[in-house]
Amino acid sequence: MDTLNILLLGFISIVLINNLVFTKFLGICPYLGVSGRIDMAFGMGLAVTFVVTLSGTLTWIIDHWILMNIGLEVTRYVCFILVIAGAVQLVEMYLRKFFPSLYESFGIFLPLITTNCAILGLCLFINLWEIDNLLEAVVLSFGAGIGFTMAICIMAGIRENLNLADVPQCLKGAPITLITAGLLTLAFMGFAGMIR
Amino acid sequence: MSKIKHFFQQSWLLIVASFCFGLLIAVTNAAWSERIEQNEREKLFSLMRGLVGDANDFEIALEEAQIPAKKGRVIKTDIYRAIDKGGKGVGFAYVSIGSGFADKIKLVIAVDSKCEKFFGFKVLASNETPGFGSKIKEDYFSSQFKDAPAGKLELVKTGDDEKIDSEIVAISGATVSSEAVVEIINNSIIHIRSKLQEKGLVTNGR
Amino acid sequence: MADKSRGLSPAVYKETFLAGLWRKNPVFRLLLGMCPTLAVTAAVKPALTMGLCVIFVLLCSNIIVSLMRNLLKPHLRILMFTLTIATFVTIADLFLKAFVPDMSETLGPYVPLIIVNCIIICRAEACASKNGLVVSFIDAVGMGLGFTMTLCVLAGVRELLATGKIFEQAVMPAAFVPWAAMSMPVGAFITLGLLLGLVNIVTRKQT
Repeated sequence: MDTLNILLLGFISIVLINNLVFTKFLGICPYLGVSGRIDMAFGMGLAVTFVVTLSGTLTWIIDHWILMNIGLEVTRYVCFILVIAGAVQLVEMYLRKFFPSLYESFGIFLPLITTNCAILGLCLFINLWEIDNLLEAVVLSFGAGIGFTMAICIMAGIRENLNLADVPQCLKGAPITLITAGLLTLAFMGFAGMIR
Repeated sequence: MSKIKHFFQQSWLLIVASFCFGLLIAVTNAAWSERIEQNEREKLFSLMRGLVGDANDFEIALEEAQIPAKKGRVIKTDIYRAIDKGGKGVGFAYVSIGSGFADKIKLVIAVDSKCEKFFGFKVLASNETPGFGSKIKEDYFSSQFKDAPAGKLELVKTGDDEKIDSEIVAISGATVSSEAVVEIINNSIIHIRSKLQEKGLVTNGR
Repeated sequence: MADKSRGLSPAVYKETFLAGLWRKNPVFRLLLGMCPTLAVTAAVKPALTMGLCVIFVLLCSNIIVSLMRNLLKPHLRILMFTLTIATFVTIADLFLKAFVPDMSETLGPYVPLIIVNCIIICRAEACASKNGLVVSFIDAVGMGLGFTMTLCVLAGVRELLATGKIFEQAVMPAAFVPWAAMSMPVGAFITLGLLLGLVNIVTRKQT
């Protein structure tokens, strides 16, 4: 019962309170580049969720069961990024073979996910927070993906309306998106202290 | 055979480069790892030295003491014994963690050698709201813990923060953060004291 | 092939260097490398440290990639770039932990995140893998300096408004009430957005 409690609270905390985009500044590049279409944003979010859950789990396993046992922690970053690149390749090959229509709709997003700071960032944060059991790592990775999807869909929705608004010429594009993101961050700050 | 040859033809650079880079990292690590470890120890020790004034050095009194915390978690921490220049024990210091308003708060706490009075605490890591919860790092809050009795400390909203007793006046606008600090200290000292008494390390009246 | 026929003159070097500083400034014009820009610019000291680390990694990676450029197989090249960058970021991280531990603590996980910083991979792909050693070197220096400058400007604004100090030296008068919001994510996003808008106004006036 306690485990379930910890997992549930961990999940809620990483989706709402410690959201990777709004509090840890991860995944900003695709966040800015997302078009104002909610369906594309949702697709990107799902792709990221899948990859991040896989990577988070794999990197935790490699870190705890291999690297720490043979004292090679110094190669941690190299191993993590290679695992992530490999995971993205695997996902790409798998999708191309078994779900070609889904692969088509993801388009350019899938290879771009490798350089998404959110994935490597999450693996590093799991390391930093010293999460010591596998189930918690899986839940946190999944939660991070969900949080990213939520953030990106909210932003896509707002951008759809921003296109119709009267934005000053110099602020069109990236600047107004950043300012909107800042205001969203302010709103999400209200969730802090929800869990004690 | 030709498949293996083809494989090597394509990836020989990758293999050679991996080997070279691995060597580079290993050499750098070997050269600097001692310094890195020393920096980590110094960080903790310099904070502890700031708390226990007479201390000259620190030795581990109890390794991996387990403190039960909320929600069934267990915190593992090392208890350090502070020794002065004459080799006499002048107090104990340890690190404890608890959840604050925004994130976890990590404190280093020092008590005297009888585990009866606090020397104080310092914040190792915290992510509290800037301007409000971050004030737990300030002297006017932490000085209330100096010489406070190592029993059950109580958080009050208003009171005299100059008077040293078991009442701690909360920071206005940061009740949750203040309460978190008091709770971490209260929770940990009970278990630390009992673990040290088990080992017979607490000097009684001497 | 292209660089041998171009006849590399000092003018080309100067042009490459200056491009990295302003015309192709990685943060303001190319919109790359946003994640560290927002995360470490709460104060000027971490921003400067991060900028210097990026310069180091960019230099080393551009040099190595430029030396290897004729040996790279096309479908393995991204992997090679990533491996190179990861190695040098590990070295930079070890250096910080050994010699500047308090900065290493402040920057935290954002130092290894230099590995996925789009600036470095993009420069390796776009410039170092196609050009000679000297051009890659100058490009790295230009881009790195442009990035560091941007970080310091942003950090300067944020630190000044959040604490009234720059580089931990008090600048504002004692009566100044600090804007705590500047040191939080809100301040980061909004300040960067406004600065970008400002840059847009300036460049529009130039063209």
